[in-house]
Amino acid sequence: MKKRLVALFAMALMVMAIAIPASAQTAARIHLIHGIPNVAVDVYVDGAVVFPDFQYSQTQDLSSLAGQTLVALQVKAAGTDTVLIDAGDVALPGSGNYTIIAQWNAAGDAPTLGVFENNVSSIAAGEGRLTVRHAAAAPAVDVLADGGIVFPNLANNPPEEASADLPVATYSVSVVPNGATDPVVIGPADIAVADGTSLIVYATGQLADGTPLPILTETITGLGETPSGVPTGNSPVDSGLPLLPLAGIAAIAIIGLGAFGIARKSN
Amino acid sequence: MRPLFSLIGILALILASCSTATVGTTTTSVAAQEPTSTTSTTTSVPSEAIPELSPLASLTQPLGSAAYDPADHIDGGPVPVALSIPVLGIEAAPIVDVGVADDGELEVPGADAVGWYRFGPRPGEEGSAVLAAHIAFNREPGVFRYLVDASVGDRFSVEFDDGSSQTYEIVEEAQYDKQELPFDRVFAKGGAPVVTLITCGGEFNRSLRSYEDNIVAYAVPVADEE
Repeated sequence: MKKRLVALFAMALMVMAIAIPASAQTAARIHLIHGIPNVAVDVYVDGAVVFPDFQYSQTQDLSSLAGQTLVALQVKAAGTDTVLIDAGDVALPGSGNYTIIAQWNAAGDAPTLGVFENNVSSIAAGEGRLTVRHAAAAPAVDVLADGGIVFPNLANNPPEEASADLPVATYSVSVVPNGATDPVVIGPADIAVADGTSLIVYATGQLADGTPLPILTETITGLGETPSGVPTGNSPVDSGLPLLPLAGIAAIAIIGLGAFGIARKSN
Repeated sequence: MRPLFSLIGILALILASCSTATVGTTTTSVAAQEPTSTTSTTTSVPSEAIPELSPLASLTQPLGSAAYDPADHIDGGPVPVALSIPVLGIEAAPIVDVGVADDGELEVPGADAVGWYRFGPRPGEEGSAVLAAHIAFNREPGVFRYLVDASVGDRFSVEFDDGSSQTYEIVEEAQYDKQELPFDRVFAKGGAPVVTLITCGGEFNRSLRSYEDNIVAYAVPVADEE
């Protein structure tokens, strides 16, 4: 009996030991996005399903698994044994800010995992960060904002990204094949760049099916700097008496003088 | 690292044995139902096709959809246009939206207007909506000439461009050395809705043409008095 209790206690300790590293690594932020339209999947680690029936656009927070190795990571078509992505052992970073997206390769003949480190450096007050990631079965593209090219020649071989900190505004963003003006493969879509916020846009899907590429987005907030000061006075106020009473005294004096003048005239 | 993995392994085994037991039960019930109802059998089949759930699943968290919804990204809502602080003699002072000057400091309008920091929250939104005005500008008294005299409990109202208005009550007043201004609080993007009135005060430094302190009044929305 005593032995059994000790064993139970030891097990409880082990469970706690596992919980501790998860909470200690709050610095890490790792998200997994499903970026393959119309393909429901089951995500397996070490032969056991972690995300059954994982659908396009759904996101999972893997942050508490930071620093661990996902043994034999496989993505299978939902409810089947058809392996779509055989990623092998995937070591998750122990810290930092990452997004993993299940996506098409450029040719559209194989799903793959795109791994991106997210830039979480601070953003100047009045600006926001716009990042575009090519996660679609499509050739290299140019990204246009308000008609001008902001990110030229972005490809998915391997998955690439382009990023800029832009003044806060709503931009009309469209994506066209590199070096061409049509066909427009995304948008134009109104994309709002918000103060201190990183907006990450993923081009997903397959261009071959003739429809514009659908986009997915994620946001990282709280990166903004504040104004560095509040300069609300460049001249001294009159010391002693505040201005309003002074003005009052002046008014009384003028009225007094006026009355004196009137009094003199009537003389 | 290695002991951690073996621990995870043990946990996995424990959980796996639990979930196997559950799957077993489900299977039996499916078999039992089979003769009576075909519909319930078909709905139960997928759960049978999926092997045991990984213990990792309990450590992860679904975050919803990453689908792009313009409504999530384009913020709207009424913009503040006028400020009245009766106790200070301020009647419908115009509010203009301001950003950041080239030197990185807050833009502040002339003596007769109040600046609302447009990159922060609107009054009424979560976080701190900043309304800044001069104590004195180019030898003219500014709108916030007497903000230093405001007291906790004083009320003011903000009018919006949609014709609505909201009353606020000052809950805290503070004077900070400009170097010590709590920027993260004054310009907070989250937390309970606060309107933060701010101006200058303290000693005037003639060589820098600047005051040494900031005067700040934090206020919260209150119901209008009818």
